[in-house]
Amino acid sequence: MCKLLLKNVRLEEAYEYENEHIVGTRTAIYDVLIEGGHVQQVDKNIVVDGDVEVLDAQKQLLVPSFREMHIHIDKTYFGGEWQAPRPITKGILTRIEEERTLLPKQLPTAAFRAEEMVKWLIAQGHTHIRSHCNVDPQIGTKHIEITKQVLEKYQDQITYDIVAFPQHGLLRSNVEGLIREAMTMGATLVGGVDPSIVDRDIERSLQTTMQIAQDYNAGIDIHIHTPNTLGEFEFYKLIDLTKQAKKEGQVTISHAMALADLPQPQLESLVQAMASIQMDVTTTVPVAINRSTIPIPYLYDNGVNVSVGHDSLTDHWSPYGTGNTITKLNIMAERFRFMDEYSLSRAWKYASGGITPLNDKGERVWPKVGDAANMLLVDGVSSAHIVARRCPISTVISQGKVIHQQEVGELKGEFR
Amino acid sequence: MKQWLTNVLLETGEYIKENETVGTKVELFNLEITDGFISQIISAAQPIDSSQQVTDMKGKLLLPAFKEMHNHLDKTYLSLPWKAVVPAKNLKDRLEKEARELPILATTGKQRALAMIEKIISNGTNHIRTHVNIDPYIGLKNLEGVLAALDDYKDIVTAEVIAFPQHGLLQDDVPKLLREALRNGATMIGGLDPAGIDNTIERSLYETMDIAHEFNVDVDIHLHDGGHVGYYTIDKWIDIVEEANYRGRTAISHAFALGDVSLMEQHTIADRLAQQQIKIMSTVPFNINRVMPPIDLLSAHGVDVHFGCDGFYDSWSPYGSGDVLEKTTTFADITRKLDERSIRQVLKYITNGITPLNTDGQMVWPNVKDEASFVFFDAVSSAEVIARRPIDRIVMSKGKFIR
Repeated sequence: MCKLLLKNVRLEEAYEYENEHIVGTRTAIYDVLIEGGHVQQVDKNIVVDGDVEVLDAQKQLLVPSFREMHIHIDKTYFGGEWQAPRPITKGILTRIEEERTLLPKQLPTAAFRAEEMVKWLIAQGHTHIRSHCNVDPQIGTKHIEITKQVLEKYQDQITYDIVAFPQHGLLRSNVEGLIREAMTMGATLVGGVDPSIVDRDIERSLQTTMQIAQDYNAGIDIHIHTPNTLGEFEFYKLIDLTKQAKKEGQVTISHAMALADLPQPQLESLVQAMASIQMDVTTTVPVAINRSTIPIPYLYDNGVNVSVGHDSLTDHWSPYGTGNTITKLNIMAERFRFMDEYSLSRAWKYASGGITPLNDKGERVWPKVGDAANMLLVDGVSSAHIVARRCPISTVISQGKVIHQQEVGELKGEFR
Repeated sequence: MKQWLTNVLLETGEYIKENETVGTKVELFNLEITDGFISQIISAAQPIDSSQQVTDMKGKLLLPAFKEMHNHLDKTYLSLPWKAVVPAKNLKDRLEKEARELPILATTGKQRALAMIEKIISNGTNHIRTHVNIDPYIGLKNLEGVLAALDDYKDIVTAEVIAFPQHGLLQDDVPKLLREALRNGATMIGGLDPAGIDNTIERSLYETMDIAHEFNVDVDIHLHDGGHVGYYTIDKWIDIVEEANYRGRTAISHAFALGDVSLMEQHTIADRLAQQQIKIMSTVPFNINRVMPPIDLLSAHGVDVHFGCDGFYDSWSPYGSGDVLEKTTTFADITRKLDERSIRQVLKYITNGITPLNTDGQMVWPNVKDEASFVFFDAVSSAEVIARRPIDRIVMSKGKFIR
């Protein structure tokens, strides 16, 4: 069956005003017809003859599905026993040393846990997963193999990217050959980590990364945790290399912590430079005391796309993490004091690849005929409501098919 | 009335795991509960008198019931249709907006408070400290609603109800209204930003203490005032507590100022707070404009710190979960607690200081004669509960299952 008719879905139509303040979101009930993975028709009372799967949404809100843009499904405790991490004694190197023995030991359960994580992420409304995947001297490309095998199993439900990730340093652990091997095995992006503090050779680390990306005609997603001016220096180097290689729009910086530290004039110049090559950023919205959060709304408003990711659900790096992107947006809202209907509503874009039902002006721009049918049904009455009150997802639709449904109890709508 | 809870998982100590990290040792026990208190704790291998009511807990981990120590049951929109916060220019504007809304909301006071209590207890809490607006706009109306709601739950939830001058103490007949509230069911006196709201620090603090004295009640003051004006306010309050012999009977809520001052000043005031046993109530703020008070430092100096969810789903804040356990998860995450030992200690902030294991890893809870108020989790240690925050819970208050 390739037609899906969603009856009685709630769609956001416009903002409601009171004394020129936005105080609510107006919605209306529609039917949405989906065919071949795309929206075919949005109308009141659609009638379809013949072969069609009908789903009564009972006035739940239809919203764009999520994209998990930074996760490591290959090394997790998720699905296994509780285990708290070890205390950190040598910064990031503590974990790198630990991985030399831990990851080989975890190999027998790696595929099972990766799959548990994928299933969990789907249940939380994600229809795309970008997973960073260790390529290191001990594990070689075995994690690439496992990650690919698990994600392929779900390829009729989600789309994905696999980042060949030299966790122990591209140069430091001498894995250029292995990264190239990973690219031939099906990794879709070239990864990297801290050219300075891990590889201790910013120039050569970034150049090599870019060279591999060019050779395999792939994009880049590189972890850069370094603070203030060091991060800034690395970003500019990467921007130059991106221009030379004509990789505009294909380079992502993950974490990009330095953006949280720079004073305004420096930040402004850097953000302009990033925007000029369509460099984007992923963040976990860290709220730890010794880590600032990057200025997410400022970046977005100035042309640098920002996406959220969970990074870890529970592993040897951190025991925290929910995989629940509605909770993630809720925490972002609290962090940035998005409190009113408008600012809460605008948070959705950071988790959906920029798609929101209403545009900034409050005009309905989604779902439109021809849009990819990656969507969620949620027991709430506006995007803002869902983000603020963490309303539950009942249905996940990907490429026009219902891929997951779960019990949310009695539907409460605006009373949730 | 006697009953048995069988196959209850208790934390009994620590051990070193194969991977050389600290793990928590657990064992199964049977607990006999008599009239709301633990009367026997025996190994699960020992037989029990099965003529009594027996509930098989199937290996679930036992933790003490949680205490919600800073809330506003009167403010929530819960049970009404969704509404976000309306943008406000500043605190004055926010208060004016609240003043306009108060009379409308007052008509559903009990209904909204009930919905909030329901949400809070379902997460494992059986004690609520709530502030209740006492102001010129609605007088004692919110107090009536909150007291009526708490009365419905009096068998399972204990409560402290604070007469709270949200719109300022030193104006109109607010002191008179507060006294009336204390004659009509409020159990504590509150306060709010003597500098920021009352614009007079000393007179506001003394008036608060006078009322406390008059009614022989404890005090809990909201202090958002930041930097040294907030620091001075706390310092002055400690003087007043000392003069009034009110040691152990007062608390400062939020106390953001403690996060704004130097480390040396933090140590100095922590010692003074500890001497006068002044509690600090925190909602674990992490919005980008706030520095969290130095909670671990205060605790290390012997200051009692407690967490609360604060008001939520109301005209001040659209988010929140009503789950005080989430405050420990957030706090542990924010302060980068990673290993089993450091994570598990955070539990004390929501259990009035109780942790099953002490800092040395020795079992100190539960004991015979302890109140049978518990939360049960599918988990293997307090640390796991804090880090993973399981949603499925069974809650018992004074020997009664309430969820």
